[in-house]
Amino acid sequence: MTVHNLYLFDRNGVCLHYSEWHRKKQAGIPKEEEYKLMYGMLFSIRSFVSKMSPLDMKDGFLAFQTSRYKLHYYETPTGIKVVMNTDSGVGPIRDVLHHIYSALYVELVVKNPLCPLGQTVQSELFRSRLDSYVRSLPFFSARAG
Amino acid sequence: MADEAVFLLLHNEMVSGVYKSAEQGEVENGRCITKLENMGFRVGQGLIERFTKDTARFKDELDIMKFVCKDFWTTVFKKQIDNLRTNHQGIYVLQDNKFRLLTQISAGKQYLEHASKYLAFTCGLIRGGLSNLGIKSIVTAEVSSMPACKFQVMIQKL
Repeated sequence: MTVHNLYLFDRNGVCLHYSEWHRKKQAGIPKEEEYKLMYGMLFSIRSFVSKMSPLDMKDGFLAFQTSRYKLHYYETPTGIKVVMNTDSGVGPIRDVLHHIYSALYVELVVKNPLCPLGQTVQSELFRSRLDSYVRSLPFFSARAG
Repeated sequence: MADEAVFLLLHNEMVSGVYKSAEQGEVENGRCITKLENMGFRVGQGLIERFTKDTARFKDELDIMKFVCKDFWTTVFKKQIDNLRTNHQGIYVLQDNKFRLLTQISAGKQYLEHASKYLAFTCGLIRGGLSNLGIKSIVTAEVSSMPACKFQVMIQKL
């Protein structure tokens, strides 16, 4: 069980942060294109899910799963999107993604006067705290499983 | 705590506001720091009036400095000063290892050159508080590795 990578987008589609821990295969396109592809996909899936839902929608799009990995999605009311790719065996991790937003992003980026909002995060503190937080998660193992 | 976030965000905006308005008038860095320090001075004067309205008179200068390090700092920043040093000749060094206004910025060397902007208001806060307790002083701050910082207070003997 492991975490492969993590994306952080803001409401305009700007990729605020990307880190990877175990990624054996790259997408084959430049990073900028990859971020745009990811954001576009999320945007389309979100509106698709809400349109085609047979019942009243509560939380909307949460995750998608393939045979090799699972993509978890969390969106805040302000439009910040946290996307984490993990192993297939990992259950719902909404609270983890919420913690990444509230205790890491809000504390270290929003409250940092030297981090302009709407741009990629340059703060070393944010990067290192996020890294140690993800490594401390119960479903993260150092070996790519 | 909600009140802490409000002050932190307001303080950050104040610093960037002072610097933005300065750029148009071609004022250099020092003037902005002075402006922020003077704002802190006035706030410090008012705060110390409020916080000492029920306390007893202070025995001497050292007692006043201890009050600043313990009660004043706790009320404003929710923690005490970690270390107070003096040479008993009017120079005091207050060391805070985890200064509340700097913890979100970085842990180490990144953004070090901007740190002084965010300490100017607090320097004024200390100077204003001391002035209303009858001590004329000069307060400066230095930071070598965030979020630890040192405030140096030089008492001016009249």
